[in-house]
Amino acid sequence: MLMLDPRPEIISTILEYLPTQDLCRFARVSKQLQEMVYDDSRWVHKLKLMGIWSETEARHRFEDAMRRRRAIQAARAAEEERKALQNGAKTLNAGLVGGPPAPGIGGSSTLFDAGEEENRVQVQREASTRRAELDAKRRTVAGTITEGVNLMNLASLTPVDTSRPSVADPGSLLKVLPSIKSIRGFARHEFGKIYAALGPLYFDLAKAKTHTDPVVFRIYRDPEQQAQILGQLKIFAQCDTAHGWVDRLERLNLMIGIFENAALREFEGGYETGDINGRMRRYANVLILLNGGQACVQLFVQKHPIMFERGELGNPMDSFDKPMPGSFSLEPSLHFFTRLSALLREQADVIDRVFPATVNVMIPFLERVAEDVISEFVTPILDEAHDRDIEQYLKAVAGIYHRLLEFSKTIKVTRGSGERFPEEAMKIMGRVFEAHVDLYLQDELDYFRKKCEAEVDSWEKKIVEEDAATESFFMSNINREADKRDFLSTFKKVILMPVSVIPSPFSAKPETKPAEPSPYANSNTLSVPETSNASRPGAPMTPGQATPGPPPTTELAAKAAIMNSRLEGIRSLFSLEVALNLVHSAKSSLERAALFTSAGGQTGEEAREQCEQIFIALLQVLGPRHVKAGFDKAVEHLSKYNPREITEHSQPGVAPLVTFLELVNIGDLIQQMIDVFYEQELVATKLTDPKDFLNPAAKEKKRFEQMLDERVAAGLNMGIDVLIDEVDHLFAITQQTTDFNPGAIGDAGLRDFDIGPTKTAVRVIEVVSSHTKLLTGSTDKNVLDVFNQEVGIRLFASLDLNHYHAYITTLKIKPLVPYFNALRELSQIYLIDPSHAKQMATVIADPNRFGGIFRVEEVYEYATRREDWYRVKKEVERAMYGIGCCIS
Amino acid sequence: MSEIKLLSSDQATITVEKSVAERSILIKNMLEDVGEVTEAIPIPNVNENVLKKVIEWCEHHKGDPPAQADDDSDSRKKSSDIDEWDQKFMQVDQEMLFEIILAANYLDIKPLLDVGCKTVANMIKGKSPEEIRKTFNIQNDFTPDEEEQIRRENEWAEESVPRSQPLDIDEAC
Repeated sequence: MLMLDPRPEIISTILEYLPTQDLCRFARVSKQLQEMVYDDSRWVHKLKLMGIWSETEARHRFEDAMRRRRAIQAARAAEEERKALQNGAKTLNAGLVGGPPAPGIGGSSTLFDAGEEENRVQVQREASTRRAELDAKRRTVAGTITEGVNLMNLASLTPVDTSRPSVADPGSLLKVLPSIKSIRGFARHEFGKIYAALGPLYFDLAKAKTHTDPVVFRIYRDPEQQAQILGQLKIFAQCDTAHGWVDRLERLNLMIGIFENAALREFEGGYETGDINGRMRRYANVLILLNGGQACVQLFVQKHPIMFERGELGNPMDSFDKPMPGSFSLEPSLHFFTRLSALLREQADVIDRVFPATVNVMIPFLERVAEDVISEFVTPILDEAHDRDIEQYLKAVAGIYHRLLEFSKTIKVTRGSGERFPEEAMKIMGRVFEAHVDLYLQDELDYFRKKCEAEVDSWEKKIVEEDAATESFFMSNINREADKRDFLSTFKKVILMPVSVIPSPFSAKPETKPAEPSPYANSNTLSVPETSNASRPGAPMTPGQATPGPPPTTELAAKAAIMNSRLEGIRSLFSLEVALNLVHSAKSSLERAALFTSAGGQTGEEAREQCEQIFIALLQVLGPRHVKAGFDKAVEHLSKYNPREITEHSQPGVAPLVTFLELVNIGDLIQQMIDVFYEQELVATKLTDPKDFLNPAAKEKKRFEQMLDERVAAGLNMGIDVLIDEVDHLFAITQQTTDFNPGAIGDAGLRDFDIGPTKTAVRVIEVVSSHTKLLTGSTDKNVLDVFNQEVGIRLFASLDLNHYHAYITTLKIKPLVPYFNALRELSQIYLIDPSHAKQMATVIADPNRFGGIFRVEEVYEYATRREDWYRVKKEVERAMYGIGCCIS
Repeated sequence: MSEIKLLSSDQATITVEKSVAERSILIKNMLEDVGEVTEAIPIPNVNENVLKKVIEWCEHHKGDPPAQADDDSDSRKKSSDIDEWDQKFMQVDQEMLFEIILAANYLDIKPLLDVGCKTVANMIKGKSPEEIRKTFNIQNDFTPDEEEQIRRENEWAEESVPRSQPLDIDEAC
């Protein structure tokens, strides 16, 4: 007993290297050795090596046994205490629960003498703690021993099938592996069943010299049985860890290989003779029984004639030059996919007849078809198209990809193709384009950029050619007031059209002056809450552009045409038509590229990013290249405007300012177009995330809007100067002295004077209002307010009187009103009859009347401008300052 | 310090290269714990002869990759062949063989322990229980009834293929 007691781990290590047969003999040596050999974990390990031990199953069995035992115990306890004592002691194997082995009596002089060992133990005492730790680690069976032993009692409650399959009954061996149960404490027993059944055949086969030798091929005559038993032997070989296992495994694999090849030849023979229900089906089954049948599936996939005769489905080059040279057609691709679809339907039928539902054959078949047939058809088309013309290429990629996706939806499901078949099929098809997607996406973006730039370039070139003509046109533009007004009304109609759909923010405001019809008056009845683009009324004329649908598109096209013809004045600045074209191109590019986002994974993500890039490219060309240049030019024109150089002032319009204000309208229109395009084409299709403020597309869009706002603000600033210049000029040239001095023109003039404002005032109001009205609804409300306020204040600085007051109140800007109230009151001073000097004094001295805008001194100053001042002065001053003043 | 001294159970001092001695995980860990050691390290369980033998093995295998941390029981390696040098090395009398195994176990030199165990396993192979008892000096503590029962319990491991008369080649092959 030398080595046993102190170091069971060494014995255990030796046992690991023993073949099963010797292991079992070891158990017969002594009780302690028996215990070590019988240790459950040792046998569980062997079952695990074969992959037939289920920890889950073992746990369930254990828990069931526990439950049952508790139930039995409870029942018995309730029934009879005396009997309960007998329960639980149904030990299967006394040896396992036996106490510690008796101390050895080492009498002989062999190597491991007990006495000597005892001494050593004492000497080693100081190192014992450390060794104990090492031992614990080293013990390969540690931990499970106790559990295993304890469980023997529990597991014994489970009835155990004691009969073992044996070579004497060949049929019983075929199902030995599936019959194995995972029961704790019974691993040795279960392993015994396997070993008794397969061990002899395994070792016999490992010794065999030729394929005729092994007993398996004599016991079993059916290929199905042979496959089954060989398949089991292959698994059994996994638990052979003893010396020489490499050779045994090699021999086994050799035999299996011979068998597999023979079966594959049979299957192939069946394939060639079309014996689907016969040999094909039978040998597919044999090969699946042997090892899952992957070799057979491979053969089946490879042998399909379509892999060799793909030309029959169509010639890729038919896509070109038919019906006429240079043209490209998707028809051949459509035919190709239709034929392939039919072929796959047939194949699905064959698969269902040959293979059981447990084997997925359709997926590997599809993979092969995608790689060898579809790719071989698609790639030449794309390559050729790429060589010929980039636009053709882009259309070919998107067109064929679309067909491919449609095709993948038509593929018939087979019994074994699995639940996730549609997605998997889609993925396989997506892989066909994997090699093309990167190139395509890059080309799509480049193409779009180039096209946009070409569009703008050609437009700019055209404008430069017409530049000289345009300059003079600007100058004479003032004569086309009627056209302009017509355009503006059309334009407003178009841009305000959607007021009935989306409310304008102004609609909530009450209209204080029904006398001057507001363009928004119609919307008063609507009280729908404001939308996201609240500050920009009338956006949705553009959805017609973004959403494909015949009526809005054609309507928009018509409107755009009208507008373009009306937009003569700003033709040289930028073109709505160009903007529309760019948006159109962007839309088609986006729609093509967006197809690939459905591919998912990295490809899908790349496609999505490229879609954003296309949008960004659109903004970059449309913004800095086109719109900004136009605005800059318009502002430049404005700054050069000098009213004194213009001889004709009969029309209430400052040409460059009108032009600029129109530009603001168009700019706003384009921005709304972009906004709708963004919502419809990118946000709604989930190509971009509008909530992500770091998103490049969202950032670019913001930059575009900012640029537009800045340009508008800069232009308006300039515009105010120009407008007031014009007004001052009008005063200078039209205001008559008689206007405010009825006495100078006699009694007849007096009557006229009472009736209305002066000609100058009418003209000034005309000029100012025609410009401010242009802006209404076209730019940000805040900007508009600031603009109007500035104009008002400047107007005040230039003049006075009632009519202006009336105009200013229509602007509805509160801070301005007191100025013009005061102005109106001031005018009263001139109207009071000289005989009422007292009242005049009251007016002058009443500071409240002017709301603090004019001081008493200022009003007095104005009063001294009266023609008859010296006649009334005395009376007035007396009324103002009292008696004392009359001394002077 | 490239050399250390080991003191065997019979008080012999053996000087050995540090890297060789560190094939023993026990010594390696100890050196890591205590740092520099000038006096001889006592190896109380191993006598000079055995220690020399073990050092011989360590010297031959000093270039081997370091033993991996203790494998857990489920990744037990399959038995590989013992290389030629080791086979020769193990050609010693049984007493020395077991002493080496015990020393390898104590010094924690796993590869040497494995070689030893494999050698023993090969020795045992094919032996009857009685022969095994003799080899290891183990007393039979079974009663005759128990012995018979346990023989029957392990009968399954003794079965062999029924040698039927030769048959012609199978159709599938």
